[in-house]
Amino acid sequence: MTFWLTVTGMLAVTFGSRYAGLALRTELPAFWVRFLHFVPIAVFAALLTPSLQGSYGEGEIRVAGAGVAALVAWRTRNLGLAIAAGMLTFWLLRLVTP
Amino acid sequence: MAGLEGFRRGFVAMAPLWLGVVPFGVVYAVLAREAGLSLLETQSLSVLVFAGSAQVSAVGLFGAGAAAAEIVFTTFLLNVRHVLYGLSLGRRIPLRGWRRPTAAYFLTDEAFGVTVVSHERTFPFLLGAELSLFLVWNLSTLGGAVAGAAIADPGALGIDLVFPLAFLALLVPLVRTRVELGVAVASGALAYALAERLPGGLPILVTGVAGSLLGAALTRGRPGDAVRLDDAAREVA
Repeated sequence: MTFWLTVTGMLAVTFGSRYAGLALRTELPAFWVRFLHFVPIAVFAALLTPSLQGSYGEGEIRVAGAGVAALVAWRTRNLGLAIAAGMLTFWLLRLVTP
Repeated sequence: MAGLEGFRRGFVAMAPLWLGVVPFGVVYAVLAREAGLSLLETQSLSVLVFAGSAQVSAVGLFGAGAAAAEIVFTTFLLNVRHVLYGLSLGRRIPLRGWRRPTAAYFLTDEAFGVTVVSHERTFPFLLGAELSLFLVWNLSTLGGAVAGAAIADPGALGIDLVFPLAFLALLVPLVRTRVELGVAVASGALAYALAERLPGGLPILVTGVAGSLLGAALTRGRPGDAVRLDDAAREVA
């Protein structure tokens, strides 16, 4: 039940944002245009760090996998490739560490 | 019919971006299943919300046991940028009656970018580009959701590492200037510190607002318009 309530809220704020721009005839203040530019950067970074360590005591090799994923993402800008490289690194390190 | 021809051109203009959308849709669906969402719930988000970053964040928050209000407000933060695209498109393409809510429902970064770049500013072209992405996004969601269900024991494989890896791979291409790097590092550090003290999705919400305020304050004096066009071009690239 909570799930569908959440989805209804997500639908409302998303459609509201998409519709408001098409219906309005104004300019957004420059400060808030710049604010919006930084939202995905701040949110993705905030989602990243608390979930990186994990809860199975494999923090070091998880971080190593993330390092490889970051490098691949930076070079290729390819989401699927970056995740695959990170997971492969993690699994390989898991095999060789006791 | 001129309308159908425009629709077809819009649909095809989006095709080069399918290559980037498919892995994103699959990753979203695998994460959603990993967070405990059913096939129906996973697909519903793609049909009803249709916003990749917000969907990926939401399933991460669902998994962390965040409250509904936290998930909705984070979604708002991530999607309110569409106001900018609407403002820009509304001035270029006259939309009357049912066309306005329809164009709004399916509006994405990619459809905005492709339409602005194409110089073919008509409703059929815009709708073609929009539905092209909607179709591929939902098909890749379905594919990923079915494949995700086939993973036998996700816990033993350490599949939950896909979450931070996905956020990292989404973040890295966005960071191109020193201010952007500073905001990313500061936000990551703040969220890490807050995660031990605050429950559920609150650290992400607080950090999302604080990090964006920091970025806006540090880029004072730069015109907002340049940032906006820059963003759309980046999404399309």
